[in-house]
Amino acid sequence: MWRVRPAKLDDLQPILNIGENRLSSTLPKTRDALARKIEQAWASLNPVQTSQSPRRFLFVLENTDTGEIAGTAGIDSRAGNGQPFYNYRRDHLVHASHELNISRRVEMLFPSHALTDLTLLCSFTLKQELRNTEVFELLSRARMMFIAGHREWFTSRTVVEIQGVQQEHGGVPFWDSLGRHFFNMDFETADQYSGQLSKTFIAELMPPNPVYVTLLSDAAQAALGQPHPLTAPNYDLLQREGFLPGCYVDIFDGGPVMEARTDTLKTLVTSQTKALHGSHQEEGDTCLISAGEGVEFRCLLTPVAETLADDVKVPVGTWRGLEKTAGDRVRISPL
Amino acid sequence: MLVIRPLQNDDLGDLYAMAQKAGKGLTTLPADRELLQRKIDRARESFSQRCAPEAALYLFALEDLDAGKTVGISGVDARVGLDEVFYNYRLSVTVNASRELGVHVRTPTLNLSNDMTDTTEICSLLLSDEYQGGGNGLLLSRCRFMFLDDFRKWFSEKVFAEMRGVSDTSGRSPLWDSLGSKFFDMEFSQADRLSGLGNKSFIAELMPKYPIYLPMLPDEARAVIGRVHDNTRPALKMLQAEGFNFNGMVDIFDGGPVVEAFVHNIRTVREAENRQVLVVDHAMAPDAPPDQRAMISNRSFRDFRVTTIPMTCIGPDTVNLPGEVADAIRVESGDQVRVVPLKDGGLLPVAPLKGV
Repeated sequence: MWRVRPAKLDDLQPILNIGENRLSSTLPKTRDALARKIEQAWASLNPVQTSQSPRRFLFVLENTDTGEIAGTAGIDSRAGNGQPFYNYRRDHLVHASHELNISRRVEMLFPSHALTDLTLLCSFTLKQELRNTEVFELLSRARMMFIAGHREWFTSRTVVEIQGVQQEHGGVPFWDSLGRHFFNMDFETADQYSGQLSKTFIAELMPPNPVYVTLLSDAAQAALGQPHPLTAPNYDLLQREGFLPGCYVDIFDGGPVMEARTDTLKTLVTSQTKALHGSHQEEGDTCLISAGEGVEFRCLLTPVAETLADDVKVPVGTWRGLEKTAGDRVRISPL
Repeated sequence: MLVIRPLQNDDLGDLYAMAQKAGKGLTTLPADRELLQRKIDRARESFSQRCAPEAALYLFALEDLDAGKTVGISGVDARVGLDEVFYNYRLSVTVNASRELGVHVRTPTLNLSNDMTDTTEICSLLLSDEYQGGGNGLLLSRCRFMFLDDFRKWFSEKVFAEMRGVSDTSGRSPLWDSLGSKFFDMEFSQADRLSGLGNKSFIAELMPKYPIYLPMLPDEARAVIGRVHDNTRPALKMLQAEGFNFNGMVDIFDGGPVVEAFVHNIRTVREAENRQVLVVDHAMAPDAPPDQRAMISNRSFRDFRVTTIPMTCIGPDTVNLPGEVADAIRVESGDQVRVVPLKDGGLLPVAPLKGV
């Protein structure tokens, strides 16, 4: 049975082992940095906040039968984690001349910190073979279940960055046309730095003035605000969840930032808390089910046999996954 | 004999013919009778001081007295950017550095600027093809510095000239094609013509106001920033010899450089000397080569006249002028004139006895 639970230090090596097909740049690639991130995430689960820095969470997808770790998903309660969070805002200026009777919209990219301190979904990594299964939805939406259960830790709006267009040979058109000139490094390097180092280097190296889109290369203009084809399932899932691409794009690859009001996210609207009851049937509609606060948070998929006014009947196997017993409060949401 | 004098009403015909021959390159002198007439009117008002000194446009004609026609024109715009807005790009450098990463990147950047506002511009130089050479171009251009020198209070301390930038034979400018055209929807020649006609407000309305980072422009556009058109290279050399230098500003359309100098540093100004006229009845020495000639001005504001004479005419206190030369620049014996070698490094010093 696949379940999502908070990451522990023991998960360090298994997470590093997921390795090769990683999609998330917000996950540190070095052992030490990752260990620090896990420690911080674990500490963030404490109901009483012990440190000044904003809460950051990291969850793992675990096979309860084999102990295999097959994916990660994270939430930063405050994007930027106390530092500025950088994006470009796509906007227009109208250049108009009365005299010549010309009016044209000039597309601009304005450096922006507007999304700083909003809740950010990040660090999503899943093994290739599980991408097209229900487990994908479990791992991604478990975060929304967590937010639903710990709503006061998160802000009124939630955002998520989608990876932008990358060519087959590894070139990133948006980066090659803009960032490379100023950072003097290839996309991979810059992307890694942004995941690991303080963001100071972005402030230091990024051009401080707005950029005219018309001066970007054609390939870069075409890539602006476009998700990487590989992220299509993720993009669709997030759209069903209620996220929409807005006017913000990533400063490195030009990928879109999706935004939503936290309280209107599908999982938050449709999920309900019920009392847990046993069922001997292994059939029924598959639902997301989560329980537990802080370090005890667990989320998995379960067939729901019957839903009564305040009760839900699920197989006893699910209880074990949740580490809960009859009568405990759980949250369920349909797939 | 060639004489510099203020532009007059009856110059219109000759001017129009010259402008027609010059073609598209010269935006300050379009082949348009109405517009040329307006320029002449403005110049007339300037010399007769019927307009505010800062609005003045002084246009000088080079007249061939023997042929009785105008063969060249040059001008001084007392102050630019006062009733319209004067735009340039300032070519500057943006440095982005990160100690943490050991990165230090210099990015050449174009910043839109109005820094030349309220500065005196030398402009509108055009010389008929058949009169090129023999120092005529030097006379036409440098006579302006004699004027600036004598009437400094009407001008700024610094003067500048905009040099024509690179464009090909069909009038296409690489900088325009990769920058201006993205914002204007028109051909370079059209934009250039509009700006020459004085319809400059459209520039403010349509130009990008934020800095342009050069690495985002194609190579061929970057290559022409601060470079002059091949035809303008002699003019640039001439101004450099006078002490003008590139000041970091470039034209917003074609990227041509702006060169500037302080008036008191201009060679013509530094080397000029006053003399008294002595009208003599013997003829001048036969045509001396340009490097042995000197410009002589009558120091008149309203009827400013300059011609060239062999340096042998110049004595320690006086200058010997045959009657027809004195008439041409409207001076008589005893009048004070100002003389300066036409070429830098002229063979004879103007004041051979100075300091003896």
